[in-house]
Amino acid sequence: MEIYVQLLVNSLQIGAVYVLFSLGLTLIFGVMRIVNFAHGEFFSLAALVIAVSLPWFVGFGAPLGLAFVVACVAALAVVLLLGKAMYEFGFRRFQRDMTGSFVLSIGLALLLQGVFIEVFTPASRRLPTLIEGNLHVLGAGITWQRLVLCAVAIVVAIGLYWTIASTRLGTALRAVAEDHEAAMLQGMPYRRIAMVGFLIGTLLAGAAGALLAPVTVVTPVIGSAYLIKGFIAVVVGGLGSIPGAIVGSLLIALIESVGGYYFDPSIATIAMFVIVMVVLLIRPTGIMGHA
Amino acid sequence: MRKFGKPLAMCAGLLALVAGPAQAQETIKLGISAPMSGAAAVWGLGMEWLAKEAAKQVNDAGGVKVGGKAYRFEVVAYDNKYNAAEGTKVAQTLLNRDDVKYVIGSIGTAPAMALQSLSERKGALMFTTAWGASMKGPKFPLTFTQINTPAEVIPPLYGYVKQEHPAIRTVVLLNPNDATGKETEVVSRKVWESLGVKVLSSDWYERGTTEFQPIAAKMVGLKPDAIDLGTAPPGDSGVVFKELKVLGWNGVKVVPAGTSAEAMIKVGGDSVEGVYMGLSADFDGPQATEVQRRMNKGLRAAVGEPINVIQIGGYDAVMALKAGMEAANSLDPKAIAAVLPKITFDISYGKSAFGAKDTYGSAQHLLVPVVVTQVRAGKLAEVRRLVPAELNQRVGGK
Repeated sequence: MEIYVQLLVNSLQIGAVYVLFSLGLTLIFGVMRIVNFAHGEFFSLAALVIAVSLPWFVGFGAPLGLAFVVACVAALAVVLLLGKAMYEFGFRRFQRDMTGSFVLSIGLALLLQGVFIEVFTPASRRLPTLIEGNLHVLGAGITWQRLVLCAVAIVVAIGLYWTIASTRLGTALRAVAEDHEAAMLQGMPYRRIAMVGFLIGTLLAGAAGALLAPVTVVTPVIGSAYLIKGFIAVVVGGLGSIPGAIVGSLLIALIESVGGYYFDPSIATIAMFVIVMVVLLIRPTGIMGHA
Repeated sequence: MRKFGKPLAMCAGLLALVAGPAQAQETIKLGISAPMSGAAAVWGLGMEWLAKEAAKQVNDAGGVKVGGKAYRFEVVAYDNKYNAAEGTKVAQTLLNRDDVKYVIGSIGTAPAMALQSLSERKGALMFTTAWGASMKGPKFPLTFTQINTPAEVIPPLYGYVKQEHPAIRTVVLLNPNDATGKETEVVSRKVWESLGVKVLSSDWYERGTTEFQPIAAKMVGLKPDAIDLGTAPPGDSGVVFKELKVLGWNGVKVVPAGTSAEAMIKVGGDSVEGVYMGLSADFDGPQATEVQRRMNKGLRAAVGEPINVIQIGGYDAVMALKAGMEAANSLDPKAIAAVLPKITFDISYGKSAFGAKDTYGSAQHLLVPVVVTQVRAGKLAEVRRLVPAELNQRVGGK
């Protein structure tokens, strides 16, 4: 029993970050019909800015918690700026162009990784523990820090879901994702909505990086690992589908957790790719995607 | 202006005459293929810094003297990202594009093997601190290895651990899923079993893994007396030990290829207390040489980490190469390779030599001490040092 609870806890804590990451990826695809392979760089940048600025703020005498909050705000601001620049000078010109945006985003990912290595150095960075202690529930262990991370991820995911489902912006995003030409005929400013969708996606990746920074080792290429998992999650869940991204992320996390336990992490990774192939063969639009 | 023309031209001519010999000194390019990004980045960065320091030291002392001419060393380094694919690209860049004839540093068994397959064919000399033992031997006449590998490190390390913890009956192994990990696992399993310790499971993970909770849960579920993280780099080891602590496991921890206690402590905090390592050494401690202390201080300032035995290979290879070139009185890699096993030379450890012919079939392995260390009270402590008998014999020690 204990081990099943532990596997479930592991799946949730791994899945929480994947959910945030893949929500951004799928939102951008839904609105702009592009797959942003540079999405992982938003994640890396947020984590790196926090890793660099937090010790700096603490050095000025700020309490650790406050320093983290300020560092998060700074990181998200920097990520947003990068997202805006990438949209204006790149993706705006390649909307609904899968080939062009693929080449652009791969190029940007390589460029940004090189820049991050130059600016932040390739060395691994580790943040001090923000919340000490572990929680044991039904024999399963989790750090309080990870638990808070999961809670924040759930709140952000619910917030996004509510925004998409119940606000004017959400309605506009859904309309554009459904049929952008019909949305434009109804007087919706497609380009502005696409930009907002892109920036929300950017912020979600930044938020995932910011939340993960205190519980992992931060390197300039950390986003690449999450990009692969996030991409698998949205393909399995259905490209462009918000519920699909959540389901796909949790499924991938479950495979990683259970596969890692009963076999080993390498087998779990192989299993993820097998699942992608099976889903694409049986249901090419993904579990919750539309044709 | 015209009246200054003649004196200016004379001055310029004089300067050219003075500067002439220095400019005429030819430059020899030395290559490095090492991880400069990811969890093992600090190894490559450190090696590059140390190799450049050694090259500067040689250049400042007048360069390498061969055939009555003095040559300068210049170090070029590329990121092999600790994988075979990038290692192959770096090999092509170094040996084909840059036309490097001497690779004085290569880290990571998989990328180093990729490099070796080309360097041996192209007739380039290669030094490596890769951990895999399969790169050694007479099949590779131009390859010189510089760190103790599983055959030298694991038996004394596990022997010491078992002696200190005689109650150990079971162990779980975890290694990166690459050539380095695969080679180590075979030796680890054999040595643990020879000590009467049962291997409950042996697992693999991909380099770049960020979530270790699933594998930590599996390892704890097996209730082992000891956990051996094989060739996991310090960052990964710290994360794994941290996850193990969250799950309440606190047995005997071993990292045979553990190189940097500081990096591991930075990541794992107090969860790494008591970890035994086989590739770590205190280069500030009483056993360190003056050169090692100086380099350690410099590297801390430059990279923010202390030296480890993998990085120091960059310094030692430059010194060995210089000695080899001067002894052979030739720049031909084959002539240098022929003379290197026969000479002794000064490296960061003091006087050393290439040997271990009895073990590997050729004398191309650098003879350096095996140092067993442990994290005690958040610091690295040396608990055992074994100097190879052959080294004592070659350099006239005890």
